[in-house]
Amino acid sequence: MKVAYIFATQRHNVSYVLAKMILPQLEENRHGADVVGMFFFEDNNYVLVDGNPIGARLHKVAKDKGILLMGCDQCCYEREIADRLFEGVPIGCFPDLYQALSGNMPDQVITL
Amino acid sequence: MTAPCREACCSVTPRLTVSELFERGFRRNRAAPLPIEGAAFTDADGNTARFSVDITGEMIAGVCFHASSCATLIAYCEYLAEVTPGFRLDIASAFSAASLVEALPGVPALKRNRAVLAVAAFRAALVQATDRHSLQTEGSL
Repeated sequence: MKVAYIFATQRHNVSYVLAKMILPQLEENRHGADVVGMFFFEDNNYVLVDGNPIGARLHKVAKDKGILLMGCDQCCYEREIADRLFEGVPIGCFPDLYQALSGNMPDQVITL
Repeated sequence: MTAPCREACCSVTPRLTVSELFERGFRRNRAAPLPIEGAAFTDADGNTARFSVDITGEMIAGVCFHASSCATLIAYCEYLAEVTPGFRLDIASAFSAASLVEALPGVPALKRNRAVLAVAAFRAALVQATDRHSLQTEGSL
């Protein structure tokens, strides 16, 4: 099964659900589903800023596994980080996300 | 004397950051067009932009636009709408996509082609305005 994650809420999502659950499982090839994309809203975008330690691991896994990472463009502009993301990580809105996923559509989209 | 800094580091308002230009541009994007409308332009991604202007003599009196709801495109369009009023038409026509990209740091490379669309649509409105001004000038002779 192919899944895409949308990190829409804040609290513990990046530091806990992503960093301590999803990411280690992806690194150990035991996540149980093929992750085809991750989209980040609001403060969750800080994980995509070049140099972020969790983001560095995520960026590596994403490159190895062909996972799309994308930040919300308005969220990134608002935080002045749009041009500071890891190399090759785009920003965009829903049209960009759907277009980017169109070649590898997920079976499920999971909002966290 | 130098102009006050209007980037994120300073508190001078209105700030010319992408985020704040988008906020203001989002409202302008819904406003009724001004009397002189240029042609609509579309880019390869399907984004569209169309400018309208008002002129006083050969000076730009106001700028408005309708653009696709892309934050980068709206910010670029809003920059043109805020900065160019008061310019002569021929001087404003010289504004290039490269200068627009340079004026708004913080846009990632993948999104900078929106400046090409914004400037093309802006220039199309200026062409219409120049034609209108020429007709008015000829009519008054």
